[in-house]
Amino acid sequence: MTATATPLPPAQPRRTATGRGRHLRDDTGRSWTARVVVTVVIAGILLPLVPLLLSSFARGYFHPQVVPETWSLRAWQIALGPGAATWSALVASVVVAGVVSLISLALGLPAGRALGLYRFRGRRVVEFLLLAPVLVPPIAIAIGLHGVFLRLGLTGSVTAVVLVHLVPVLPYVVLILAGAFANLDPAFEDQARSLGAGRLAVLWTVTLPSIAPGLVTAALFGFLVSWGQYALTLVIGGGRVVTLPILIFASASGGDTAVTSALALFATLPALAILLINAHAVRDRAAPLGGVR
Amino acid sequence: MRRTWLAAIAVVAVACGAADAPTPDVPDPADWDAVVERARGQTVNLHMWGGSNEINAFVDDHYGPRLAEEYDITLNRVPLADTADAVATVLSELDADQTVGGAVDLIWINGENFATMDDADALLRGWAPLLPNAELVDWDDPAIAFDAGRPVDGAESPWGSAQFQFVYDADRHDLDELPRSYAELADWIVANPGRFTYPSPPAFHGTRFVKQWFYELSGGPDRWLDGFDEAAYDEASAELWDLLDDLEPYLWREGQTYPNDIADLDRLFANGEVDLTFTQLPAGIDGQIQAGVFPETARPYVFDTGGIGDTHYLAIPVNANAPAAAMVLANLALEPDLQIAKLDPANGWGDGIVIEPDRIDDDARSALQAVEDSLGETAVDQAELAAAQLPETVGAYTDAIDRDWDRFIRQGQPRE
Amino acid sequence: MRTLLHDERLRPWLLLAPALTVVGVLAGGAIVQAAVRSVSPVRGSGETGLTLSAYRSLLADPELPRSLLLTLYLATTSTLLAVVLGIAAALALRQVAARSRWLTTVFQLPLPIPHVVGAVAVLALLGQSGLFSRIAGSAGLIDDAASFPALVFDPLAIGILAEYTWKEVPFVGIVALALLRSSRVTEQEAAARSLGAGPWQRLRHVTLPLVLPGVLSVAVIVFAFSFGAFEVPLLLGASFPETLPVMAFRRHTDISLAARPEALALSLLMAAVAVACVALAMRVARRTIREEGR
Repeated sequence: MTATATPLPPAQPRRTATGRGRHLRDDTGRSWTARVVVTVVIAGILLPLVPLLLSSFARGYFHPQVVPETWSLRAWQIALGPGAATWSALVASVVVAGVVSLISLALGLPAGRALGLYRFRGRRVVEFLLLAPVLVPPIAIAIGLHGVFLRLGLTGSVTAVVLVHLVPVLPYVVLILAGAFANLDPAFEDQARSLGAGRLAVLWTVTLPSIAPGLVTAALFGFLVSWGQYALTLVIGGGRVVTLPILIFASASGGDTAVTSALALFATLPALAILLINAHAVRDRAAPLGGVR
Repeated sequence: MRRTWLAAIAVVAVACGAADAPTPDVPDPADWDAVVERARGQTVNLHMWGGSNEINAFVDDHYGPRLAEEYDITLNRVPLADTADAVATVLSELDADQTVGGAVDLIWINGENFATMDDADALLRGWAPLLPNAELVDWDDPAIAFDAGRPVDGAESPWGSAQFQFVYDADRHDLDELPRSYAELADWIVANPGRFTYPSPPAFHGTRFVKQWFYELSGGPDRWLDGFDEAAYDEASAELWDLLDDLEPYLWREGQTYPNDIADLDRLFANGEVDLTFTQLPAGIDGQIQAGVFPETARPYVFDTGGIGDTHYLAIPVNANAPAAAMVLANLALEPDLQIAKLDPANGWGDGIVIEPDRIDDDARSALQAVEDSLGETAVDQAELAAAQLPETVGAYTDAIDRDWDRFIRQGQPRE
Repeated sequence: MRTLLHDERLRPWLLLAPALTVVGVLAGGAIVQAAVRSVSPVRGSGETGLTLSAYRSLLADPELPRSLLLTLYLATTSTLLAVVLGIAAALALRQVAARSRWLTTVFQLPLPIPHVVGAVAVLALLGQSGLFSRIAGSAGLIDDAASFPALVFDPLAIGILAEYTWKEVPFVGIVALALLRSSRVTEQEAAARSLGAGPWQRLRHVTLPLVLPGVLSVAVIVFAFSFGAFEVPLLLGASFPETLPVMAFRRHTDISLAARPEALALSLLMAAVAVACVALAMRVARRTIREEGR
């Protein structure tokens, strides 16, 4: 390694949000088309949730009923009653996703800083190495790790599930944080340090605040990628770590569509709350949350 | 977090070589007080198919509180999409030399899954007849002493019994319009294209459906109850695959796809996409009707040529983490009041009993009689059901049927 | 230690070390384990040393080529759908939703929802007894559920593609929207307009060439996901052929231990195909974009 790693210059400051997109308003013909497209897209996004709502509040909801003949709260009582498996699954999902998200941040902050602020030989290789696990099918990772975890007596433990979730989560978190660090001007940190601030003080008062939006996005993204995992949890959790996706799948392979619908809708609620918080917290930054996983 | 780190480092360390395998310390059920004492404070991981909310609720509501209050045992019911998943878990553990502290303490099992575990010496043997409540069970009854032709050998404690029945919608069909044998079913399928299908083996109900057809074509179950005669099987099954292949165009979706499991078939039936589905419950389908899974007019019936009936069991893997608590639960499952509650469709299940009515006290016997008397038209008459019962084959035929169905019917491979 | 920490050449590597170690140990460990165990004989098989029997029986399985084709078809089609529809939706949203944050929020709604939920929802919407079929039935368009076209468990895997599209169009769309709103794009568009370019010309020659390279990296993720997806084809797929991940899982959970090495061999095969496809697609796409840009 002969090349010196030099800190990158800070990126161009972002343009403010005002006036974005307005200049195209005069194309009225296209604007009409755009309205139709948006209406179709939004309808397509909301439509699949409609039959879930209908069936979760129905009993004996058979073809060709569109509106249920018999309304009932039975499915919701089973799904959310005291002692229902849903609550322990919710706890498992939140604990796993929360811990995965925190570990990813702890590991991702230094890595993101390296990728965002330094130009060094081998950077592209590192980026590829980080991205490669995302390309490999999760089931392949899970089947491969299953034997290793068995030997360690880890299979079926929350620890094992947390570890295996890091494989798809950590790369994303690093790359998002790298983007956030690319906008950070290290000169501010040097300034704070020259004014006598300690390491932690600099981190707390200068570094973290200036990458805050990226940090929030990375944390939420990590949480949601883990939240949606099924294959990794199933294989590595050995059925004993029952998260919400595991519970929903088991219910779907039973016959009670109403209960499955209720569980499915319930699993969307916490995720939606996070989405709304994010939309509020990270203004005008259309960051893709949860991604495709 | 610390554990996570250690584990990550250990992944490398252990990938190279396995640790020493300790020998499991198994309690002796003959000294029952000692078993109960050892079980105190343990958690029992009960691995069982989790697709029925009613069955799940029954286990949680009837076993969980009793275990906690009377024995200080925590019940952890692990829902499986397929029992074979738990079998695979145990076998993988043993393959990795994990001889104690395994994931599975008790497993709801029978048939080929039992055969697989038995072949692998993966189950504790000899404990089941020593349970206190084992004296309520008739161990001389071949339906209990043999699981799919294989001696149970004390490795399984009976839990319940089931028998294959068909389900139709009385609102759509009169019983006399419907087939009462597989020969009639073949004609009925051709006459009613698109109105019938079955779950794809190795899904439990699908395998059983195909196997019964095999029985009828090959002149009954008697030839297939012990040993494995491959030549005889190949010869007798050829006709079955020809027939199933020929019937495919008349099945739902022209046989291009099959329901994954009984839940899928139930959904097709309930929505009127097909006319028949199956059930295994001796006490009938009232629970599913109440749950709104089946229409109010759904009714079970049996073929004149019978349906396979069998016992399902609870078994303890050799590497179970809490074998004492597992024995306590297996014993509890044989308590007369819990056996009768399990039979009563009002409690959601409707599973058959495995204890002998003349070995329980008068109160329990009259409670049992009351439940049997209450079964209405959502159950097949218990005498008719008993008369129609066919025995199960040895596991090897089950494996062969699953394998050949996959090759010849699902994949459509040509046969030589 | 002090000099090591302050050596500017080593610094990025020290910062990267924890993350790279964890990813390397876990993902690398999985691949190494799969490689080793796929050539190790099964306990009780009597074989010793290394064996290629798992690969042999895997390659002899007539379902494998069809399964590979189906998996590639699903991954390619869903990526194309997601890219085309995602960009279209982003273009439309930019015009309509410039000031309406809630429209953008609704657009993102599928992103945090688990795929299992999406699959259950698609079945309830598109299945032969799903909501559309019920509406058609009530309107007298079809006689019974069976007359409704087969959109789920079908040979073209429409149900699976619908679920992927539902989840992935917002993913691509939201990235495309961010790119479309960037100053680089808006300024060049304004410049093109001032030079008299019409809306379609601007889209074709200015906007798309600027947005596509960014969308490409998202498309890679979409492709990799669709290729490796497991629960959706398991819930919505036809009995035959199965996708590669489903096939691998079935072998992994087969009660015969002999199938286990085949599951591992198939895992390696999937990993190799996925990485190769992405590498190839990136090359082709980069070249195309470069030529387009001229």
